[in-house]
Amino acid sequence: MTRIPVTSSDQEESWRRLVEECFRREAGSSASIPGDEVDLVQAGILDSMAWVSFLRSVETASGVSDLGSDLNERSASFAAVLAALANSRSVTFRAAHPDSRPDTVGSAALALIAGSSAVTGSRVIPSEEVDRAFGMPVGKLRKRAGIESLAYAAEGESELTLGATATENALRVASCGAHQLDWIVATSETHHDYPSLSAQLHSRLLARENCAALDVGGACLGLLNALAVAQSLIGSGQARIVAVVTADVHSRTLTPGRVAGEFGGLFGDGASAFILCRGAGGHSAEGYRLGEFLFGCAGQYAAAIQVSDTKEGGLNVQFDGEALSRAAITRMEKVLAAVELRSGILRGAVGGFATHQPNPRLLALLAKQCGVSPDVFPPIARTSGNLGSSTCGAALHAALQAALKQERGRRPIFLASLGPGLLFGGGWLTPCAVPT
Amino acid sequence: MTKLLITEITRMGPAFCVIGLQREKEQIHSIRPVPSSANGWPHFPHHRGDILECDLAPFPGARPHVEDRVSTRGFRKSSAIPEAEIVTYLRRAELSRSLPELFGCAVQENKNGSGLYAIPGEAQRSICGCETQNLRLELCANELRATLVLPSGEVLRDLPVVDREWRDFIDASLASSRGANRVNRLERFLNSFFHYKIMSCPHHFIRLGLTRPFHDLCWLMLDTLFPLPRREWLQEF
Repeated sequence: MTRIPVTSSDQEESWRRLVEECFRREAGSSASIPGDEVDLVQAGILDSMAWVSFLRSVETASGVSDLGSDLNERSASFAAVLAALANSRSVTFRAAHPDSRPDTVGSAALALIAGSSAVTGSRVIPSEEVDRAFGMPVGKLRKRAGIESLAYAAEGESELTLGATATENALRVASCGAHQLDWIVATSETHHDYPSLSAQLHSRLLARENCAALDVGGACLGLLNALAVAQSLIGSGQARIVAVVTADVHSRTLTPGRVAGEFGGLFGDGASAFILCRGAGGHSAEGYRLGEFLFGCAGQYAAAIQVSDTKEGGLNVQFDGEALSRAAITRMEKVLAAVELRSGILRGAVGGFATHQPNPRLLALLAKQCGVSPDVFPPIARTSGNLGSSTCGAALHAALQAALKQERGRRPIFLASLGPGLLFGGGWLTPCAVPT
Repeated sequence: MTKLLITEITRMGPAFCVIGLQREKEQIHSIRPVPSSANGWPHFPHHRGDILECDLAPFPGARPHVEDRVSTRGFRKSSAIPEAEIVTYLRRAELSRSLPELFGCAVQENKNGSGLYAIPGEAQRSICGCETQNLRLELCANELRATLVLPSGEVLRDLPVVDREWRDFIDASLASSRGANRVNRLERFLNSFFHYKIMSCPHHFIRLGLTRPFHDLCWLMLDTLFPLPRREWLQEF
């Protein structure tokens, strides 16, 4: 593949844009950009708290993690920040130049999505029926959360069957056989049995014996974790084709009597699958290329949701709905802002937002906070409920499907999700044409 | 006349903010003596652990700084208690195990960068003590910041450290008279010996505070960190 050589001036310009944008977010959009040598703290442009806050924004957006340490004994100026960025050891930041990175990282960026699929539990239950089952006022889920119906697994359906169906569909779309898979990376927030989900999928799909199987955690963040792992496997040359699979069946765990309806009533069952391949493999004429991922853990929200087993075999759920809602919106907005900065792709240019969807009301609020149309968020939770790690998967599949129908060319897709902890992650995909 | 056990002396720009404990019947609570014309003291010659006699107006300050009392006369030192005993009293004053309990309100994160804040009208108080599961100090672009874990497991990051003794200690450790590589040596200390000294201390305790409203928000800060630093630690790095 032809690489566009990146020049140091390109890189400097990218960093400068990023630093200026972070500064405006901290100082206000109307703030004028100070001269490079101006000490922002001494000049009273930023106070000490705002200075550190600004640096943290730059760290998140650039992927450079040690700016604060590098800037000790330096002035609080743009020049110092830009110099620290230039000297950083980071190899992750190449805003707006994904093709021009060094080989090690560049190969990771060549992981393409060649096929995708999503399925939901085949029993579709009106939310009013779920209200009744949990002993809540009828209409509560619809009015308060915006959930119209929930997709529940039917008898005979499980994480394995849903995940296998999604994977087989995705393989078909990618014109790829299960025997071609090098890795199966699975994630589920409800499957805790052994053999693990990836092992069971391996057997069910009849993958090669030397196809590896791996389970990753993260609950609702699981898809992004799994995609990042798959990208690394492809980038490092360990794999050519990887299946990333999510599967969640909440309806057998979060049951009435075991958990409160305000929590358990939000969840449905589903699965998703993505076939990732090395760019040069030529498995897709209209693939989407994985961009970079950013991850972290906002521990101040650690107590907002906690789930553990009890000695009696029950489930202990601590769920502060109000705190969690606030955290979800604030953090996903922050993640999407960081993705926007790091990718150099403006949110207005994004064709689809494949995010976690705690419930449809929060999704609408997130769209409003982000200043984008709610239509660019595929409405998964409204008809199926919160599908755990599969919510983001179903949303990504829907966004990819929608992109195929776009007449004026396909547009980038942003990813953002959260998990208890509060784990967070984000990333992006860009359309690419690959010769078959 | 009021007797105050001085528990906090914090840097606030060029001035100092002072907080003490007052006993009323069986209750111990925090009081912040303030001059009549400002929020801080340009000069405060006393130390933590000093028991000071003073005269305070009875009216509390506006939320969340309900601990404010205008001092109508100077301070007179009557006695002093050791550091470990201060913490014994602090543990009987305002205490929290979790983020929402700290100031009796929701604590929110800065949407743009770092830092946590409370809405002035929502917060019930501006100072609270707590134990920590872990604590780290860091020099970030010349600013001293703390990251800590509450007993609830909630993590607070990038809190400005305003404790006078700790700030003086950091300044002393960076004094040019201490030779080369001072920042690196300090970072090594904060990453190693500091952690052991703090977390193994039986009277390890912190107090978190809220700043005065700034653009209608009160930001969290680390007011006090026990144990207090010792001059002899400077010889260790």
